[in-house]
Amino acid sequence: MKLRVVREGLLLIALACLPAVGEGIYFRDKISWQSPIPASELATVDQARAWGDGAIWVDARPEEEFARDHVPGAFSLNEDHWNELLPQFLPNWSPGKKVVVYCSAESCNAAREVAKRLRDDAQLNDVFVLQGGWEEWVKRNR
Amino acid sequence: MKFFWRILDLIVAGVFIYAGVLKILDPVQFANDIDNYKTLPWFVSVRLALYLPWLEIFCGLAVLFRFLYRGGLSILTALIAVFITATVAAKMRGLDISCGCFGHASKNWSFPQHLAIDLSIFVALVALLSIELMGRARHDQKT
Repeated sequence: MKLRVVREGLLLIALACLPAVGEGIYFRDKISWQSPIPASELATVDQARAWGDGAIWVDARPEEEFARDHVPGAFSLNEDHWNELLPQFLPNWSPGKKVVVYCSAESCNAAREVAKRLRDDAQLNDVFVLQGGWEEWVKRNR
Repeated sequence: MKFFWRILDLIVAGVFIYAGVLKILDPVQFANDIDNYKTLPWFVSVRLALYLPWLEIFCGLAVLFRFLYRGGLSILTALIAVFITATVAAKMRGLDISCGCFGHASKNWSFPQHLAIDLSIFVALVALLSIELMGRARHDQKT
């Protein structure tokens, strides 16, 4: 009986591979296969600084961390208080301006999530995630 | 009593089919949800995000139509057990995760809500599997 359970399980595991491969082919251009953020959506500290006034900085970390320190001129915008903070941020954006979102470090996800919502919900173009996050910015500036 | 177990079958199958379909629609979001657990490299997360929803759907259908039934139940039980372990481990490591179990719809669930739902599904699956295996064993003994 155990053998039958295993056989059934293996058959289901194999069957599920087929549409998964098909879906992978269908989404091949929409998925970043090697890194969670496609290279075209990343900005280095040097790149972002070179944009000067043409860039708006968005701090996706929790407010306490933002209050402690942040990139000069950055706006606090995180998912926990999205509805309150987005209306404060939007008037400062204008078409053509690049948005650079950062969170604590390379490994955090908040910047990626906020950048995605800025693109999808707020319909902003030119939204980038800062490579290395706040940690990298501090390293390069102090 | 048979009717009760069949209803439970339908509920469990429905939950997994629904969850699978939601994730298929947005594989990138599901890959991000898996990546949030910080246990697997991205290239594995993204491949799992493409594969796991189909496995959930196939196993859900197996339970729904009682075809490859025990295999389906066993896989779903294993999946939910792994998922509960990963969720608890992530919480213990202080990670703020959204489970991704029902796509972005479950994003705002609290940790106790996640756990309560996952444990309920796990208990239902274990019960269904036990009933099936015990029933089968009794049947085999008779014949």
